Amino acid sequence: MSNSKTTGSLLRLEGVSRQYTQGEETVHALRDVTFEADGGEFIAIAGPSGSGKTTLLNLCAGLDRPTAGKVWLGNRDLSELNRHQLARLRLEEVGFIFQAFNLIPVLSAEENAEFILLLRGMAGETRRAKIRALLKEVGLEGLESRRPGQLSGGQQQRVAVARAIAAEPKLVLADEPTANLDTETAFSLLNLMDRLNREHGTTFLFSTHDPRVMQRAHRIIHLLDGRIESDERVAVEQA
Amino acid sequence: MNALRIIIIIAWRNLWRNPRRTVLTAGTVSLGLGLLLVFLGIGDGSHRQMIQGAVRLGGAHVAVQAVGYQERGGIERTLSAEQIARVSSWAQSNRKQLGITQVLSRVFASGLVSSADGATGVRVIGLEPAKEKGVSSFHEKLIRGDFLISTRDNTAVIGEGVARKLKLEPGEKFVLMVQAAHSPEIQSLLLRVAGVMRTGLEDFDQATILIPLPTAQQLLKLGDEVHQTAIVLDQLEHSQEAAEDGKRRLGPEVEVLSWLDLMPELRDFIKIDDGGSYVFNSLFFMIIAFLVANTLLMSVLERRREFALLDALGFTPVRRFLLVILEAVWIALLSVAAGTGLGYAGHLYFYHRGLPLSLFYSSEVSAGGALIDPVIYSHLTWTRIFGAAQLVFALTFLLALLPAWRGAKGQDAHLLGQA
Repeated sequence: MSNSKTTGSLLRLEGVSRQYTQGEETVHALRDVTFEADGGEFIAIAGPSGSGKTTLLNLCAGLDRPTAGKVWLGNRDLSELNRHQLARLRLEEVGFIFQAFNLIPVLSAEENAEFILLLRGMAGETRRAKIRALLKEVGLEGLESRRPGQLSGGQQQRVAVARAIAAEPKLVLADEPTANLDTETAFSLLNLMDRLNREHGTTFLFSTHDPRVMQRAHRIIHLLDGRIESDERVAVEQA
Repeated sequence: MNALRIIIIIAWRNLWRNPRRTVLTAGTVSLGLGLLLVFLGIGDGSHRQMIQGAVRLGGAHVAVQAVGYQERGGIERTLSAEQIARVSSWAQSNRKQLGITQVLSRVFASGLVSSADGATGVRVIGLEPAKEKGVSSFHEKLIRGDFLISTRDNTAVIGEGVARKLKLEPGEKFVLMVQAAHSPEIQSLLLRVAGVMRTGLEDFDQATILIPLPTAQQLLKLGDEVHQTAIVLDQLEHSQEAAEDGKRRLGPEVEVLSWLDLMPELRDFIKIDDGGSYVFNSLFFMIIAFLVANTLLMSVLERRREFALLDALGFTPVRRFLLVILEAVWIALLSVAAGTGLGYAGHLYFYHRGLPLSLFYSSEVSAGGALIDPVIYSHLTWTRIFGAAQLVFALTFLLALLPAWRGAKGQDAHLLGQA
């Protein structure tokens, strides 16, 4: 378990199913998934490709809507929010880290990192100071003005992490954040996420099928064919 | 404000991710706008020259006549000496304000001219030769002989067609017969040909003769009366304002007409010509619009993952919509800047060098009762430029609506996992 202070149920899924229609075939991406995540948790969603990890993360962020069941973020039922409200909710409370980095290609590292703060209207000097400090913290000092195309994969992912945590969201969702990184960079990133979790109490929910990454989680939810196979809490040594 | 700033920045930088496409798109719109401005300049220039040409061939920017003369004619509908004095006084006191450069008295009649070689019906115009020389182009149209001189009362300038039919040359004599203005009495006068003119307007040249005003007044037994006081202005655009002012000041005893009412055939021709131009320009811009719409839509569709990313980061649908609109606005701004420059350069070329109609026609062309000058000079106003720029902005905005809606729609979260 995380040693950070828990703040009660942050995320709750109840009987969530998601099915798609592909031609005449119905694909069951998730089947009757129920779980809760408390504030400050560091959770890995594990499972092979096609087990429903990405679908689950998308549903948690309100990027997709369940076919059945409900998702609550805090005390808000996401099914009752429209697309505008969902976007506002993500802006205020959710950070994202993607496998493919997904930085905005026309913005510099600094502009990408401050993107959420800009949208939230934070004043210039405060924002810049915060972002400079954050980029330094994630090891990108001196690379602020570089565009994503001028950064390595690991550096891009660090920018994505900075962007995800800059606005101090309650929940950070990470979809296979280390999948495109070499081992050293991947562990460096996991250390960073772990430190942010411990020091800032940020809740991380990340998907992976890499056993080495799973080992770093404090709780592992195993998905198989869209169902929760197991939900185990593990004791972890401090990094 | 921060959010709007970053949206503007992203929109601008997005344009230059594919500079070739942006340049081609903005270039296409610029070219369209540039050509539109050149077309408008040449169109307006030709209309303006036609109007001025008609004014210089016996027309007027503003005319004061007896009530009913324009519609029904009638040699007996004349302006009295008192009315002429009032018109002169009004013109004199408003000379500066309305830009009045000349006030001319004219008399019109139908008559019969005969020589040893035959007879033909003519339209007689009695005018003040010295004043007319300053504003009209009759004297420039002489192909033989001289123009009228006031003191040589019994002389006439005749159209080339009249001269040909009656085999008349300068110095030769002919007889003009007309009806007196206020009685059925037939008057006749022996006149000597001072000169022969060719205006290029066939109807005019076939049946017009010019004689000095005092001669015409005497022949028609008009005394000091005239049929028309023609007012020439320094600016064509002041015609309506001057006519309205004249109507107010001179009252209902006389009719005050701007060139629009005085030369209805020309007015209608210009309207029809403008209508044709609007249709052509609309079709032209529709073709460009399809190209631009396609480009804008493609640029959004190929960035579906980015729009999904923006959605995931909390970029609301309204902001995504605004982003695409702003990209279109940037294109419109670039296009308007380049297109206006291009169009204005084209206008300047045709303003100074002119467009020779000999490229398209082998002989003189007339339309709406007016001669089209052999060389057309562009005339482009700021109103036209702003109007065209507004059209580009409005069109680009409309074209961006569908791509913007597509960008705002999002719902492509499944693309975010793709490398």
